[in-house]
Amino acid sequence: MEGAQMEDFRIEECENDNNTHEDSQMEESEQNNKHVEVAPALISVHPTRNSVAVAVGSDLRVFNLLEDCAVILVDEAGGASHNDSIRGIKYGANGKLFVSAGDDKLVKVWSTESWRCIATVCSEKRVSAVAISNDGLHVCFADKFGVVWVVDLPGVDETQAPLNKKAVPLLAHYCSIITSLEFSPDGHFIVSADRDFKIRVTVFPKKPLDGAHEVQSFCLGHTEFVSCLAFICTPDSPQGILVSGGGDSTVSIKNA
Amino acid sequence: MLQNKANPTINKSTGLPRKRFYRARAHSNPLSDSHFPVPLSPSHVDYSLHYPRLFPSSDRSDGSKKIEFADIGCGFGGLLISLSTLFPETLMIGMELRDKVTEYVKERILGLRVANPGQYQNVSVVRTNSMKYIPNYFEKGQLSKMFFLFPDPHFKEKNHRRRVISPHLLDEYAYVLKVGGIIYTITDVEELGEWMKSCLQNHLMFEPLSETELDADPVVKLLSTATEEGQKVARNGGQTFQAVYRRIKPASQENS
Repeated sequence: MEGAQMEDFRIEECENDNNTHEDSQMEESEQNNKHVEVAPALISVHPTRNSVAVAVGSDLRVFNLLEDCAVILVDEAGGASHNDSIRGIKYGANGKLFVSAGDDKLVKVWSTESWRCIATVCSEKRVSAVAISNDGLHVCFADKFGVVWVVDLPGVDETQAPLNKKAVPLLAHYCSIITSLEFSPDGHFIVSADRDFKIRVTVFPKKPLDGAHEVQSFCLGHTEFVSCLAFICTPDSPQGILVSGGGDSTVSIKNA
Repeated sequence: MLQNKANPTINKSTGLPRKRFYRARAHSNPLSDSHFPVPLSPSHVDYSLHYPRLFPSSDRSDGSKKIEFADIGCGFGGLLISLSTLFPETLMIGMELRDKVTEYVKERILGLRVANPGQYQNVSVVRTNSMKYIPNYFEKGQLSKMFFLFPDPHFKEKNHRRRVISPHLLDEYAYVLKVGGIIYTITDVEELGEWMKSCLQNHLMFEPLSETELDADPVVKLLSTATEEGQKVARNGGQTFQAVYRRIKPASQENS
């Protein structure tokens, strides 16, 4: 748990940190081709620091920290990984799964042991945020129209051929781009933040495929788009504190 | 506001606004980002602006009265005006997207307050997009009644997501309605009536009112008679389709 705390904090820092080699390369090319829109580089760290994943444009790169070597991603469906800018990458809290998705409308779920793509979900729209439930049974992704979709992964077997799953809508922020999706540490809630300054905390039901209809609360107070969410666990607040940051240059902290 | 001596926008004898100067198209695009102020959170709603007699200052104490009825898409205010005298102790507000129509309702309320001292102090109107900003105006479980009278049918299937009653938006309406609160819907478009009824029927936070309960509720009669739209339908001998549901606590609930 100590490790997880640190990682959550560090992820937020690093996403805005411009020290990685890829990032400085990106910045240079951004300056040269100002008219070309480049997706922001993303970084995500495994909950127990086994590996780190970086997404640069459509390129997904994983580095194995334990063995100090690059990881080769295996995708039977063919192709390196994604065909267009990756907009969201995340490790599941239990460390077994990793998800990546973006403008190519594909949500890919990877096993963190074999780094094989074990499932691909087709989204109707471009994906803006992703999250994996703490128990690794569900993957959620949000599209540019504000709908959060959910797909179930019933104990996916690595030896099987990659599944093509169909997602169902879980909840929606009316016509708002969702910028961040996170599960609460206890797995009871899913938190979604959008471009219209809102954060919605919804009860994650026992049967997510029927939709998540019970809104626990709205966290309002941001005066600009909300760009990121993270949960921090402390001994005083075992349920977690929700931290959010956004375009109004504030970081807001809320108790569960 | 233009005040022309020859053609006053306000009727001199009644003090009420003349509708011909507030004509507006029935349709308004709810997806466009109009520029109107949105309260940062429900505690930022200025009650002294809406109910000056009852709230002399904008500072509200925790125990003070809150808005309980909301007419979503209140149009020219017919329902609100009827409800104001039927429930003189309850605070109520209309939400309307169209600028001119909101102005009309404002003038109408002001005129009525002058002509009827002591009355109509509990009703007001605000220009806003209720599909995006309802959580900004009302706290969890604040409302006891919500009205959706003759909403825009959005006939084309591709526009169905713009309908004000939808499975996703019902999550938000369930959030602002208290347990036991009632949602009233009516339309003269049969397909829309079927749609609204099925959305409510399938939503786990709502249950239908029984025939006896409907007969006992004085508000139900107002749905088809109190509004300009309802009166027009009656004049043309049209049929109306209503769906009145109660907000319930779903069976599997850990938190209220």
